[in-house]
Amino acid sequence: MRAITVFKAVTKNWLRSRAGLFFSIMFPILLLVVFGAIFSGVGGSSRYGLFVQNQDVTAEGSPTELSSAFVTALNSTGTFSLTEVPVGENATDYARQQLGPLGGSMRILIISEGFQDDLINGTMKVRVGICFDTLNMSYQYFEPYMNDTQKSMLEDGLTQMQQLNSSLPDAYASLTIMLDSADQSAGVVQSIVASVANAFNYELIGAGNVITFTQTSVSNTQFRTIDFYIPGITAAFIMTNGIIGLTSTNTEFKRRGIIKRLSLTPLTKMDWVVGCILSQTLLNIILSFIMIGVGWIVFNVRVIPDALTILLIFLGSVMFSGIGMIFSGVIKDIEAANAIGNAVAFPMMFLSGTYFPLEIMPSYLQSVSKVLPLTYFSEGLKATMITKFADGIVFNMAVVAVLAVVFILIGVKVTRWREK
Amino acid sequence: MANGIIKVDSLVKEYDSLRAVDGISFEVYEGEVFAFLGPNGAGKTTTVEILECIRPLTGGSAKVCGYDVSKESDVKEIKKRIGVLPQDFNALEKLSVKENISLIGDMYDKHLSASEVIKLLDLEDKANAKFDSLSGGLKQRVGVAAALVSDPQLVFLDEPTTGLDPKARRDVWAVIANLKKLGKTVFLTTHYMEEAQVLADRIAIIDRGKIVALGSSQELISTYGGLKLLVIRKGPKDLADTLQAKFGQVTVNKDGDIHVKVDDVDELWRIMDILTTMRLGSDVELQTPTIEDVFLKITGTRITDEGDLT
Repeated sequence: MRAITVFKAVTKNWLRSRAGLFFSIMFPILLLVVFGAIFSGVGGSSRYGLFVQNQDVTAEGSPTELSSAFVTALNSTGTFSLTEVPVGENATDYARQQLGPLGGSMRILIISEGFQDDLINGTMKVRVGICFDTLNMSYQYFEPYMNDTQKSMLEDGLTQMQQLNSSLPDAYASLTIMLDSADQSAGVVQSIVASVANAFNYELIGAGNVITFTQTSVSNTQFRTIDFYIPGITAAFIMTNGIIGLTSTNTEFKRRGIIKRLSLTPLTKMDWVVGCILSQTLLNIILSFIMIGVGWIVFNVRVIPDALTILLIFLGSVMFSGIGMIFSGVIKDIEAANAIGNAVAFPMMFLSGTYFPLEIMPSYLQSVSKVLPLTYFSEGLKATMITKFADGIVFNMAVVAVLAVVFILIGVKVTRWREK
Repeated sequence: MANGIIKVDSLVKEYDSLRAVDGISFEVYEGEVFAFLGPNGAGKTTTVEILECIRPLTGGSAKVCGYDVSKESDVKEIKKRIGVLPQDFNALEKLSVKENISLIGDMYDKHLSASEVIKLLDLEDKANAKFDSLSGGLKQRVGVAAALVSDPQLVFLDEPTTGLDPKARRDVWAVIANLKKLGKTVFLTTHYMEEAQVLADRIAIIDRGKIVALGSSQELISTYGGLKLLVIRKGPKDLADTLQAKFGQVTVNKDGDIHVKVDDVDELWRIMDILTTMRLGSDVELQTPTIEDVFLKITGTRITDEGDLT
């Protein structure tokens, strides 16, 4: 019962603290809104800026028909925000000037002079080559069934086509794309431009689609990126509330002599630790529901917390609060508490697959992620809220539950109830 | 003789090579205010924290309310029976006075209501004020209230007035004086001489981990304080000569004040007769020794307001 008294008092004290409320609730929500805006597409989808200099112009100075069509095709992808660079300008200088003092990603596509002519010549050569190959294959296949006259006609035709093909120049329409190596979107931009060029190629040579491509979801519900971020961000902030928030709060309690005052009463260490962890857990459950609520209302996410989610949030909160109690038991001053809390929490946040998929990390970092408690908590929340993958739920929940018990016991052990 | 509620025998506390408490022995009787007087670092708080069961002892023994502080099974019983105002008392800053007192009270199986204690300490006006909005003196009063909410037999007050302004200090003194009227035994640590002298029935002077004197303030002053001093402001030169001839122990300071050390009451009356005969117009003042003089006599030093030795 004394643990409940501690729980009530600490929770009330926290609820009345504006700084505590901001860092525990408002800050995570602000970050969720920022991440959500990035990954949900709400407020208009983002476009990559691309400067285009079309050097392929007619004698009158207007763009040739095909170069203009290529620019239109780029624009129709809806991926780019195109800025035209006037012919005759130095494209790099022009782009730098347009980007202004704050800079930005410099991406320049140059359509070279002669693009249309090279495209027509190149297309003709490819089309003649295809006709020749087709006719030649037909000749090879049907030769046993043809008379001499038919053979002679076809051979003449093949010879003439070969001569025509040889007479056409080896022309390739030239596109130059200039990208900044520090630009994280460079690869995406290059791929999209290449895809548009390929589509253009196929269209010109008259090739149709042979492979069709259909995308479906592994789950019954159609989830978006933001849906996958909700459990991750929720897990990450439950972790930071425990490791950074609880550690600094308790270290401050210790510095101000509040823990010492309570230790002078019949209150036991276990009651104190359990009371603090329960308070932190309530805070985290509130935080989780607010974050999911914000996700529903602002970003129209489809993740659905169920009883298992609540149980896992409870266990996860206990686990990270347990770590917080361990840290506050061994750390003496608040500066060290903040430094150590941050040093542990932030790497864990990024190495647990919360913000980035584990697959993109080097194998040694993937190994590190397997010993981090947040990995199991985050994956467990994704399993309960999104995939509903039973084995994933059971395994991750079991790991979190065991760690929660271990961390509480260590937290009680290292909490100092007597001076030295 | 009253029962000993605290019994300390040859108590030792060592931190690595430092002997903070060096074999002290004393007894505190039920219903008295017992002051532990000494400078910072003398071993006051270490001793009191051993008695409060939050610091282990190195040697010797200590019993509080009949229970041994070094026995784990006794600690729970001791904590039920004591109330503590620790040094630099603090509480949850966003909780009200009443909520903070209730929090401490709820840690005990039996306790007074927060309202009762608030009334007792005249904190009714501040009952709903947040702890962080209170002045230093009021915070100390809340600390005393928290120490009393369990209705303890024995109250430890560790440096209860340190850092307070003179008015707030007097207020806290009134509170402590009232505890005695309520029948509580009070163990008070302080570095303020006047505080110990005004409040305590008995005083133990502790210096460098050892108790160097123990007794009531009168006993200590009688034993160590030296003679009373009669000061005649700007007395005439011939008076100084007369007094020197008859009584000795006369000095004249640079302001012309005559200081006469007085051995007993008879001597005082004889001096007063001379002053009356001479129809002296000067101011006359009788200065009695204080605990400060006792401390000076025993240790050869004084304690500053901050608690350090001069």
